[in-house]
Amino acid sequence: MAAKYECSVCGYVYDPERGDPDGDIAPVIPFEKLPVDWVCPIYRASKDDFKKEG
Amino acid sequence: MAAREIKSNIYTVGAIDWDRRLFDALIPLPDGTSYNSYLIKGSEKTALIDTVDPTMEDILINHLNQLGVENINYVVAHHAEQDHSGALPKVLEKYPQAKVIATPKCKGMLIDLLTIPEKRFITVDDKETISLGDRALEFIHAPWVHWPETMLTYLREEGLLFSCDLFGSHLATNDLYVTDEGQVYEAAKRYYAEIMMPFRTSIEKHLEKIKDYQIDTIAPSHGPIYDNPSFILNAYRSWVFDEPKNIVVLPYISMHGSTHRMVGYLVEALTQRGVTVKQFDLTATDIGKLAIALVDAATIIIGTPTVLAGPHPIVIYAAFLANALRPKLKFISIIGSYGWGGRAVEQLAGVIPNLKAELLEPVLCKGVPKEDDFKALDSLATTIAEKHKEHNFA
Repeated sequence: MAAKYECSVCGYVYDPERGDPDGDIAPVIPFEKLPVDWVCPIYRASKDDFKKEG
Repeated sequence: MAAREIKSNIYTVGAIDWDRRLFDALIPLPDGTSYNSYLIKGSEKTALIDTVDPTMEDILINHLNQLGVENINYVVAHHAEQDHSGALPKVLEKYPQAKVIATPKCKGMLIDLLTIPEKRFITVDDKETISLGDRALEFIHAPWVHWPETMLTYLREEGLLFSCDLFGSHLATNDLYVTDEGQVYEAAKRYYAEIMMPFRTSIEKHLEKIKDYQIDTIAPSHGPIYDNPSFILNAYRSWVFDEPKNIVVLPYISMHGSTHRMVGYLVEALTQRGVTVKQFDLTATDIGKLAIALVDAATIIIGTPTVLAGPHPIVIYAAFLANALRPKLKFISIIGSYGWGGRAVEQLAGVIPNLKAELLEPVLCKGVPKEDDFKALDSLATTIAEKHKEHNFA
């Protein structure tokens, strides 16, 4: 199963099982495959601000 | 107060707000605050570092007039928030040649917030430098302390870091430098707790980043200047990196005395077990004091009666704030009294998803606390003391 990633700024967790409906990201897209300009749906932090969970 | 020289051709030209008592319509300011703005006269170019809150823009302009500043080439906007950038329009009007130096993100925010024309900006990358002639400004991007657009400025020739809100303190004083470390420690810790703590992970990165810079002086955007930077750097390292301490924070509300009796009993039980407790009656608590206590605490116990079928609304408010501040808490529990029913625990749990703390068995009692309830509180105190010991929280 693809890993979840947590936003270090706001705590939002990107769960590949759910995707990011607000950002038009369909379920099953792994974090690594998100576009480089994808931002956190809560606080608009960049991908660099995310850390792998666990 | 006149403009004052802090180093050769570097002046402090900001404003002291002795009387302000509330920030963001939320944060108490028991000691007022200051909006620090600095002027650097290089051999060829002149730069202004940040401005002031718009309510005090005339003070900044007077300081610039006193110094006979006829031309400003650059205004460095570290941070788009009003208390530092709010006087930009006035400064740009007075100095029509001046360009605003900002991160690309800050530029966008200043256009949004203050409708500053795009042509007035120069954007800078991380670690980019701009020369003033005999000295140069180096810009250090520092996002998320506490907005996404923030940067710092380093003046290599002086070992001087203009740190914006990072390392700042809400403290009105006419001392240029820190004179009373105890007072500044409390004010800086309050500032950290209220403004910076949610962004601890970002601060970790920034502390690492500035480690390689020779820093002799830190000039923040609020509060006095640090001529002994290790004082504030060590404090930040401790707040950011250290494990939590053997401390329980106990905010509570009691309507008719039952929850208060439980709180009193638990405080005594924890004291007997060698645990430090910080108790806050939320009807009379300065939320800054509560935030300060959360910086180091390992455990929070929330005391609430049940009213309107849930926790007391003031408890919800405090829990919401604690959740937003994202302290290092490892354990959490809830105690309190109810009359006939309700969903206090479930509702409280719903407002604290960010507190990734282990939930210890809550103690809720019907009516006044009785023998079994006191036993349960003893057991909770024992669990807390043991958990703290297991983790070596000293």
